[in-house]
Amino acid sequence: MPALVEVQDVCKIYDPGENEVRALDHVSLTIDEGEFVAIIGQSGSGKSTLMNMLGCLDTPTSGKYMLHGTDVSHMTDDEQSDVRNREIGFIFQGFNLIPSLTAIENVELPLMYRGVSKKTRMELSKTALERVGLANRMTHKPSELSGGQQQRVAIARAIAQAPPILLADEPTGNLDSGSSREIIDIIKKLHGEGRTVILITHDPGIASRAKRIITIGDGKILSDVINDKYEE
Amino acid sequence: MEYLKTAFLSIKQNKGRSFLTMLGIIIGIASVITILAIGNGMKAYVNRSLDDFTSGAVTINIDQKKTSKFLTISQLKQIEEVTPEAYGITPSFSTYANLTDNTDFYCSVKGGTPVIARDSSHGICKGRFFRDDDVESASLVCVTTQQSAILLFGTDDVLDKTISIEVEGKSVELTIIGVLKSSDEDVAQAKAARKKGEQYYYIIEFFVPYTIMTQKFNIASENFTSFAIYTQQGQADDTAMKVKSIVENMLDLRGEGAVVIESFASIAGAYNKILNIVTMVVALIAAISLLVGGIGVMNIMTVSVTERTREIGIKKSLGAKTAYIMIQFLTESALITLIGGFIGMAMGALFTKIASNFMSFPPVIDPMNVLLVVAISVADGIFFGIYPAKRAAKMSPIDALKQE
Repeated sequence: MPALVEVQDVCKIYDPGENEVRALDHVSLTIDEGEFVAIIGQSGSGKSTLMNMLGCLDTPTSGKYMLHGTDVSHMTDDEQSDVRNREIGFIFQGFNLIPSLTAIENVELPLMYRGVSKKTRMELSKTALERVGLANRMTHKPSELSGGQQQRVAIARAIAQAPPILLADEPTGNLDSGSSREIIDIIKKLHGEGRTVILITHDPGIASRAKRIITIGDGKILSDVINDKYEE
Repeated sequence: MEYLKTAFLSIKQNKGRSFLTMLGIIIGIASVITILAIGNGMKAYVNRSLDDFTSGAVTINIDQKKTSKFLTISQLKQIEEVTPEAYGITPSFSTYANLTDNTDFYCSVKGGTPVIARDSSHGICKGRFFRDDDVESASLVCVTTQQSAILLFGTDDVLDKTISIEVEGKSVELTIIGVLKSSDEDVAQAKAARKKGEQYYYIIEFFVPYTIMTQKFNIASENFTSFAIYTQQGQADDTAMKVKSIVENMLDLRGEGAVVIESFASIAGAYNKILNIVTMVVALIAAISLLVGGIGVMNIMTVSVTERTREIGIKKSLGAKTAYIMIQFLTESALITLIGGFIGMAMGALFTKIASNFMSFPPVIDPMNVLLVVAISVADGIFFGIYPAKRAAKMSPIDALKQE
């Protein structure tokens, strides 16, 4: 059985030529189902590029990205959209909710793109919002919610369709420490339920909550260790 | 449904801007509707007027530049006998005249056989039309219309009154033996004119046996070079062709092109052709504003796409496909122009109503035109929405997400 995520010798080069920037420099990496991985690095280290690659938002200049044993690195735009929709739940630093839609409508979006019927959509979205503790905020617009609540809506959106991978990019970057803890707790809980979580952060404190920590710098993997301080 | 809801929300959020965008379309659609309505009204009016004149009457001329031959009354009778499908064949003369005792009135006198009673579609309402024996004996009788009678005497109770008509210095006294019915509108118009003292603005009509023209006024000869055939509408052309060949045979004028058909139907057709062209040209000019309006839509949609770059990025990262984003923006632009189209239609109807107050004929709004115009407005939105929608759909999700 192939690994869930398999990155094989991937390079991402911007502006090829004399002033080329190697955002990713021969990176190889395997993540199995059920892991909780933190990818940590300074800004400019290439962690955002890696996250875009893992999230099927970008394609590598060279190398291969296998997801469930399928090469997804050379797909068309629409095929990549499909993979994102089915395989990956995104949690962004800036929440990325649509301001004109209510909480539940935001959660419904990825289900709509998958062609789920309105009724099922409503049910799944309600369950997801209940799980992040927002049962009484379903019809609020993002502007009527606090930052922590907005991020919880985003998490609900990421899990409503039950994708195998949760990809969280600095999920607490815009939050105070109280809300941050809440969000990380929710993410840990989701992992506890069997989801694979990939957490990208620059904060060693946050990274230390993960089971495995990959450090990246200058587009290369510097270290890849099991976190012995991990608490279940 | 989802698309429509999203598009509607987005338009509602930018009410002011959406309305300004629609303005071009509104003006375009309103002017196209108004112009087409006026064009249709004009056409209907011209057709009605021509119908009133001569329904199914065809004139045949013997071109005196090509031959000096002519027909006699007995030859006309012969033609009439072999053309039973026609109501009748008559020499047809018209002239303008004055009343001897009231030179302010201007009269039109038309001479023929009794079949010219068919010039009026409303029939006789008082007395009788003149008869064949009146024609043979050149009786000094005439028939007028209800409208003319009211203009002249203030009443249509004019039987047995005598009038003295003067044509080119010769005056003849005629007894009114019949009154042709006029339309209610014409009667009302005549009464109003009489009240205001404006009766002299109208032409007074008389119908007389043609023999009065040839024998009493001496303004026409009984060597006929022109005559009219009265037939059912729709048969006019066939009958005219038949009569033409009869005349050519009779006068030995085959193949010389000297016998010419002049039908009112063909005149009406020519009028309609010209009116159609004029209407189409003006409507086309108005349609240019639709083009300009469409470009306005394209402009605003491009701005909207730029503003919503982040939203597009989010949707794409969640798995929205190119087609979904395209359709979303196309729906929005089509909805803008559709709403604009409906407002434009209402404005067009209003303009048409206002315009009808200043015109002597009522404009006619054709439902087919309205449907067409609505379809055009939607097509306008879709066509001019393609470029911005494509821009939106082609956006890379990472670049779109980077934008704040």
